[in-house]
Amino acid sequence: MSKGTKERAAAKRVVQQQLAAERRRAVTLWTSVAVVAVLLIAGLIGWGVLAGQQNDNADNLTVPAGAVDDGTAFPVGSGPVNVDVYEDFMCPICHEFEQQSGDTLKQLAADDKATIRYHPIAILDRASNGTQYSTRASAASAAAFVGGKFTEYHDVLYANQPEEGSNGLDNAKLIELGKSVGLTDAKFADAINNKTYWAWATKATDTASERSVSSTPTVMINGKKVSEANGAPPTPATLTTAVASAAG
Amino acid sequence: MQTASRARLAAARPWILTAVRLGLAAVWIIAGGLKVGDLGASGRAVNAYELMPYDAARVVGAVQPFLEIALGLLLLIGLAVRLSAGISALLLLIFIAGIVSAWARGLSIDCGCFSSGGALGEGQTPQYLSEIARDVGFLILAGALLWQPRTRYSLDGKLMGDLA
Repeated sequence: MSKGTKERAAAKRVVQQQLAAERRRAVTLWTSVAVVAVLLIAGLIGWGVLAGQQNDNADNLTVPAGAVDDGTAFPVGSGPVNVDVYEDFMCPICHEFEQQSGDTLKQLAADDKATIRYHPIAILDRASNGTQYSTRASAASAAAFVGGKFTEYHDVLYANQPEEGSNGLDNAKLIELGKSVGLTDAKFADAINNKTYWAWATKATDTASERSVSSTPTVMINGKKVSEANGAPPTPATLTTAVASAAG
Repeated sequence: MQTASRARLAAARPWILTAVRLGLAAVWIIAGGLKVGDLGASGRAVNAYELMPYDAARVVGAVQPFLEIALGLLLLIGLAVRLSAGISALLLLIFIAGIVSAWARGLSIDCGCFSSGGALGEGQTPQYLSEIARDVGFLILAGALLWQPRTRYSLDGKLMGDLA
């Protein structure tokens, strides 16, 4: 090979390398642009889906007549101290709390010392195999409140609490339990079958989250969280003392 | 001998990194997929960190699963792997910082990494250390791809015309 041919071959190689490098740079640039675009679009979709769900919820909202605290709670009694009880019908510790302190709460209301405001929220929907038992039970308790039997229905739901992680009670069972406490009106059954208070259950849950209620049961007395020193729900003695001191 | 094993390692490396890329893709797709069905719960999990107002936490909680799934799919097809791995590492660092801060403030929460998380019930202890260790593991995967983004069966390879 002559010297000239060798130089031409070398020059050709350099040009090819430059073209390949150029191509790699272009590919890197455009794939990066594509990645950023895909991630932005995905984020916007998430935002859009959330906004859509919030709109649907606002459109479908039926506030149970007589609910207090911005329509998110059901009052029992009319005493001067507000005791807010945030519970999820699927939560086993709420059941324990009810067994331990439920009667004390009722007594405080009956003695006109406190107004117990029950907030049946739905934070454990993931624990019922997709049947959304927490939301269904919360919505059913709203229908029971409208039917004038909230306390009775609340108690019978805890007495029949399904195991966490099971399908929960089905709608037929929710209706049947209503009948057992005197909710025989077709309106009660219709409200359950038509999901009348589902959007309300979500609103009650969101309102609780806004107040940094992140677990159940959460008890607040005149707006202040009350629990045992180890974080356990308040015992009857703690509740009685706290209500007395809040009353001044 | 030394050179022969080194050569074998060099030959195996793109395959190992391919497995790393697909593994990280699976992590994101699973993490996002477990949260995308209940955006309300995802928002509450973010809110449980008590780092931002509830309305902001709700938006972050809704955006995050979609972002995770998209990032997983991008890694799966292998598009701009270095950038995707870099963004993965950044997200993981943010998650680790969040868990550390929850730990430091004595909050009792589930990280919400592969679930909708939230506060823990009585008797449940937070698993902060193992959650952080797991995220650091994923961070190492992301770091490996950041260092060596060329892998087999990637769109990058197809477009660049090498290692197809």
